[in-house]
Amino acid sequence: MTIALLQVSAASVAQRINLDRKNAPLKSVFTELSKQTGFDFLIDAKTLERAKPVTVVLKNVSLEEALESCFKDQPFEYTIDDKSVVVKDKEKSIYERVKEYINAVIITGTVVDDKGMPLPGVTVQIKGSAKTTTTSNNGSFSISVNKGEILVFRFIGFQIKEVAIGEQTNLKVTLAEDQQQLSEVAVIGYGKQSRATLSSAVSTVSSKELNKGAITDVGQLLQGKVPGLNVTASGDPNKTAAVVLRGASTLNSSQGPFYVVDGVPGVDIAAIAPDDIASIDVLKDAAATAIYGNRAANGVIMVTTKKGKKGQLQIAYNGYVGQEKVASQLDMMDATELRAFLTKNNQALTPINDVGADTDWQKSIEKNSAISHNHNLSFNGGTDHSSYYASLNYVKKDGIIQNTGLERVIGRLAMEQSAFNDKLKFSLSVTNSNSDAQDVPNRNVVLLQSALHLPTSAITNADGSYFENLSVDGYYNPVAMLNHSQMNTKTNNLVANFNTQVKLPFGLTYNLNLSYLNSTALRGEYYDSYYTSTYNGLYSNPDPGMGYHSQQSFGTNGQATRSSLQNVNKIVETFINWDKKFGDHALNAVLGYSWQNNTIGDGFQATTSNFPVDNIGYNNFALSNPYANPSFQVNFGADGVYQETRLISDFARLNYNYKEKYLLQASVRRDGSSVFGADHQWGYFPSVGAAWRISQESFLQGATVVSDLKLRASYGVTGNSSGFNAYTAQSISGSLGTYYNNGSYIAALGPTQASNSDLQWEKTATANIGLDFGLFKGKVTGSLDVYDKKTTGMIYSYSVDPILVPTGTIVANGGSMSNKGIELTISTTPVRTTNFSWSTSVNLAHNKNKITSLSNPLFSGGDSVLYSFPEGLGQSSHSLQILKEGKPLGQFFSLIYAGKDANGVSQFLGGDGNLTTTPSIGTDYHYIGSAQPKLLLGWSNDFHYKNWDLNVFFRGVFGNKIFNATRADLFRPNTATLTNILSDAANESVADYNAYQYSSRFVESGSYLRLDNATLAYNFKVKSKYFKVLRLYTSSNNVFIITKYTGVDPEINQGGISPGVDYNNFYPKTRTFLLGANVTF
Amino acid sequence: MNKTLRNITLPVALILSLGACHKIEVPIKTELTPEVFPQNTDQYAQAAGPVYVALRGNYSVEHFFLQSASTDEVIFPAFGGNWYNGGQFQQLHYHNWTQDHSDVSAEWYWTSTIIGLVNQTMATLEQVEPAGAAKDKDLAEIRMVRALAYFYQMDSFGNVPIVDVAGDYSSHPTKPRAEVFNYIESEIKAALPSLSTTISQATYGKPTKFMAYALLAKMYLNAQYYTGTERWNDCIAACDNVITPGAFTLAPISTYLQMFYPTNGPSTPEFIFAIPYAPSAVNSFPFRSQNLHQRYDLPRRLVSKYAVNFTPDASISTLPSYYANFNDVNDIRNKQWLTGLQFQADGVTPVNYTTTNQSYNQNYSGANPTGSITYQVTLTPNIELRGGVANFDVGNDELAWNMGYHNIKFYPDASSSNRDMNNDIPVFRYADIILMKAEAILRGGTPTLGATPLSLVNQLRAQRSSSAAWTSVTLETLYAERCREFAWESWHRNDMIRFGKFEAAYGFKTNTDPNKRIFPIPTTAMRLNKDLVQNPGY
Repeated sequence: MTIALLQVSAASVAQRINLDRKNAPLKSVFTELSKQTGFDFLIDAKTLERAKPVTVVLKNVSLEEALESCFKDQPFEYTIDDKSVVVKDKEKSIYERVKEYINAVIITGTVVDDKGMPLPGVTVQIKGSAKTTTTSNNGSFSISVNKGEILVFRFIGFQIKEVAIGEQTNLKVTLAEDQQQLSEVAVIGYGKQSRATLSSAVSTVSSKELNKGAITDVGQLLQGKVPGLNVTASGDPNKTAAVVLRGASTLNSSQGPFYVVDGVPGVDIAAIAPDDIASIDVLKDAAATAIYGNRAANGVIMVTTKKGKKGQLQIAYNGYVGQEKVASQLDMMDATELRAFLTKNNQALTPINDVGADTDWQKSIEKNSAISHNHNLSFNGGTDHSSYYASLNYVKKDGIIQNTGLERVIGRLAMEQSAFNDKLKFSLSVTNSNSDAQDVPNRNVVLLQSALHLPTSAITNADGSYFENLSVDGYYNPVAMLNHSQMNTKTNNLVANFNTQVKLPFGLTYNLNLSYLNSTALRGEYYDSYYTSTYNGLYSNPDPGMGYHSQQSFGTNGQATRSSLQNVNKIVETFINWDKKFGDHALNAVLGYSWQNNTIGDGFQATTSNFPVDNIGYNNFALSNPYANPSFQVNFGADGVYQETRLISDFARLNYNYKEKYLLQASVRRDGSSVFGADHQWGYFPSVGAAWRISQESFLQGATVVSDLKLRASYGVTGNSSGFNAYTAQSISGSLGTYYNNGSYIAALGPTQASNSDLQWEKTATANIGLDFGLFKGKVTGSLDVYDKKTTGMIYSYSVDPILVPTGTIVANGGSMSNKGIELTISTTPVRTTNFSWSTSVNLAHNKNKITSLSNPLFSGGDSVLYSFPEGLGQSSHSLQILKEGKPLGQFFSLIYAGKDANGVSQFLGGDGNLTTTPSIGTDYHYIGSAQPKLLLGWSNDFHYKNWDLNVFFRGVFGNKIFNATRADLFRPNTATLTNILSDAANESVADYNAYQYSSRFVESGSYLRLDNATLAYNFKVKSKYFKVLRLYTSSNNVFIITKYTGVDPEINQGGISPGVDYNNFYPKTRTFLLGANVTF
Repeated sequence: MNKTLRNITLPVALILSLGACHKIEVPIKTELTPEVFPQNTDQYAQAAGPVYVALRGNYSVEHFFLQSASTDEVIFPAFGGNWYNGGQFQQLHYHNWTQDHSDVSAEWYWTSTIIGLVNQTMATLEQVEPAGAAKDKDLAEIRMVRALAYFYQMDSFGNVPIVDVAGDYSSHPTKPRAEVFNYIESEIKAALPSLSTTISQATYGKPTKFMAYALLAKMYLNAQYYTGTERWNDCIAACDNVITPGAFTLAPISTYLQMFYPTNGPSTPEFIFAIPYAPSAVNSFPFRSQNLHQRYDLPRRLVSKYAVNFTPDASISTLPSYYANFNDVNDIRNKQWLTGLQFQADGVTPVNYTTTNQSYNQNYSGANPTGSITYQVTLTPNIELRGGVANFDVGNDELAWNMGYHNIKFYPDASSSNRDMNNDIPVFRYADIILMKAEAILRGGTPTLGATPLSLVNQLRAQRSSSAAWTSVTLETLYAERCREFAWESWHRNDMIRFGKFEAAYGFKTNTDPNKRIFPIPTTAMRLNKDLVQNPGY
């Protein structure tokens, strides 16, 4: 199909032609001829690429004469048809064909990389011709070439190589890796862009660079890899890592970045198997993210999955088996230490608590080792017009805590089909991820109990029953808790996406994306009759935050909860791309529209009690009889779980560059969200960016030190419309309990939220200045970014005088937050010899977070809010943190420890400056450090020696403080007869009744440097018909850590509003050792 | 030209046709929006519910501690650091609480929430409920709950702002106590005509005319302290408005204790206004909303005796000076106390407990600290701060757990599967009306209906003790009678202030600052309302 490329219609123009051109592109000549004659010139864009420059001088000639001159040396012929000139490739004469046949040789060969590994999928093209082939799985190719012609070898991530064909018929071509080309293309919103022409801050992480190990969570894959991305993870297989990009930009719950997978916004990242990921692009500044307007305030992470390649079938298997062991645990007293301590202090254990045992209670709830294994089998392939990629991933990851683990199966299919001369392309991808997560109910309580149980007690009594001493308040056998309860969540995650792409004239491309995301969670929770009778009234131990612990009340003879909730996102996105070059000017424009409808919480929850037997678990509610217990209520969970939201956007972006030297970018997105007040549903999110590739300037040409230099600057505004209830702006009544009305307890229904019709967009503006550089011919590359990120109109649940708003809170705009920081990445290859190479890459990030305002014109209640209540015994209202203007998020605000008084009792600095042993909450509090790290470090090293490669990755966090409330609560010398204490507390006096008070004594440095991963691999040179790549590796995570922190691990959650609080809620970190294989067939 | 148009039109048309949809509103189909609720009689009752759930809120715990642990009635020491809770109860006892005190904050927050809820609910019902007697009664009832909340706020904090409409976010400065008093009085009078006089299950737990008069009587009895103007005769008149219709009787000696049992309810003859509690009741407010008395009142070693299904949290007890009022052996009210040696329900079998010498007495200095000891649980009258005077600590051993006489007026609820109780808690009892009237006359009011202070007190005492009737009554003996009658009913602070005893030295307290008669405006409240003014002395 020939598509009209050049059309200038003019009805009455002279038929006589004047033209004077020297070495002009044929295209421009056609344009001029069309202008003068009114004829359209129809030529395939690819054909035109083979045009030779034209030199003509024409004076008052006819069109035919003019065409003859212009086509003299061109490999084209033309026909004139009505008012069009149709240009085609010249038919070859028989002579030419025979000559070609005689000259033609069949060249065969293989293409390998600089390590000798075969490279499949390399494009082999005869220069100046359309004739191409690709290398097969073992890197081999075969192509018919004329002598004297040149073969061009192209492969992404490698330097282009040209080979002139002489007499040889067999070639071995080695392609050198192109360090710069690896990240040549960045995936940005609604398109891709060459890194060279990027004016925004985008970090690209290739699949090779992602963290290795038994990792099931994308956050952990990226940990330490991207400057400015603060990722904290525990050892919990079922908890996603907390991810904060460039500091928290909001107080509401939506702090994590927004994930876009293959252009589908908002995908649950758990649906994607790490082995299926090709690359991850982290969009950091507003110029990059503003195109995702309303959800981009916390950064956007673009995940690109692997796709099928043209060529023959390729089968790959990636798998590993790993073993995890607890890396570190609290150093509690053992039985001998505890007895010695008590004897020294003239105290003794009660007989019930001391049966002569020496139990390590922490070990008792842990497994000796947890096994993980992951298997990913994929096959892909393609023809010239279609490709496919299919994979099946199975992972089973046991948690190191008993009864915890994750089992997940992910199936993925991605297909592409082109039609109509590749002008139309359909892609369909369907991913289904099914997870089965085992967890422990009240796990934080189990963790707490495992720390404080006396070592002198045995887990079981002589008769095999579990030991319990319920006369001690809040004292439960953690092993019994584990084994008398169950918790299971089965999540099914479907991501389906259908994309239609139409190539239109003028470099226009039209895209239509239809996506359907469906996630269903089926949860079951069961407490057996032992649990409900023994632990009724236990207090929960929630993660630190605004809330308090709450008393758990169970029914009798077992209690079960079941819930099934579905979330569905339906997304239509359509946009048109325009790519155009005018000489030295290049333009790229995007214009689009997006519609999205989300429903969440579609389903039910029910809790019942009183089962005849224990072994039914939560699987047969019909056997329960909840009505026999008058004080038990069948419970249907929270009110208002079902929510529906709609997001609609119009967006546009324009990229312009001049000679790829001066780059400009501007975008604007108009976003609408149903969650806001009627007059505030729409918001505008603009951005601009500019870059100057200084190295393209003549004065830097030939510079020996600087080989590449680009200065970037950008500014933009992004928004946030999530993290709060869908109907927040409106007045809603809901269940507020039951009350006595004429003999029965009827529902009390009233406003559960205050309406706020003024609720509007939270906006985050980011200014970014960046410098990308390559030194010494690209031997050292790096980027430096400085940013200033400001959130205004922060949506937050303000405390309100309940006399005005009885719910006591109102979700309103008001506060502002500032993050300023600097990020640096440097990569280099200090050693590169034939057999040995060492590449290293360091990234550093510093961020300063500050809450700049917490007030709303109407509601003053956001500031000075005290929160994080670990609620250790006797410390019920002690808060650890404060939300305060001018302070960072997570500011510690509590007592200052001032040594001990004459009686050996801990004393504290009072609010009045005097020392006190009876400090008051609030009045005697001081600012005692921040949880915000000053420096994040990631340091990666790659060593290659012959067939071996070794990767060593260090990660560090520096300058942050941790409030070690765990330590405080295990630092109770005066109650050591009732609960165990830390070995460290051995020299404390039992007379010090204040020893454990939450104070600066328990605020510690959270700095650490961890050897996060070391992977050693051997790449077999396989000379087999079937095997192509065989790589065996062994990897170890969390090899060692250097830290002064006295808790289990300094990697305490940095996300949410309570960063840096260690409170017996920390799932132990593990040390992993694994063996893996990558096989390609 | 045509081709050009065609070629450009197609993509633009595609974008436009899809982009044309900008309908952003999502209809709410799963919530109670003002369009669908409340719309009928049942729904009006449900809409009024939150007011009562909130009222139930802190009444049994925080309100009780604030009104009682700040007096000689209740003491809540720390036990080896447990329940020290930042000196919360120590400060209440010593009268050195700060504006950060959690119970002080809780009282403000709780009463403010009730007021805010009534404002909002009244606005809703005003709008949607059809005019008529039913509407007037519905509005008057919750209006009385608001008046009660304002009364607690005025009684505890003195000067407070008045907000009685919903949605008014403008400045609300503090009003002087006398002005608040007048406002509450006018509110009660405005509500009175529409309130019910029926005493039945239908009105149980809801304000009636009698509840309104009882609150008025309480206001007038304290009017001299609140406003400087004595209102004895108004108090007597309000009491008479409860007495004359004869809707209430004093519970006889045989059922006095049962009035507070888990089985109490609408048929309890003395309850003018009570707050119903049930373990099955649900609430969504940040309040406890459960009767948790047994959690604090019951000694730990008596769990089996009372067959409760939980371990009592802590131990509150009374001071010997308060218990000294229970000096009549024939008084049924003595039975609400647990004292001395403890026996099982049969009254014969001792309640024994086995532990080590050291655990029995943390200061054991004998040769065998781990030696076993079995002792009969014995509650001792005095509170000794053996674990530290500075930190208000009695220690953490058996002796500490059994220190002080314990009150189980709100009798433990063995039928509950947890520590929540089914016992309803009275706010106004008929006995209070009788004693308020006696006190008002004694303080200078004019006797009515042929009653004298002595006849009124003896009318009550006849149903409480088999001892001979009194022959005289003074303010001092009337105060003692109130101590006996209303122990654990959250009125003692109010009584002590009125009788001028709040500044006296009792227990470990020596503070005599009269500013402590009202609590400070909490820090949390001042943060939310910048126009509040701190009370004098804080």
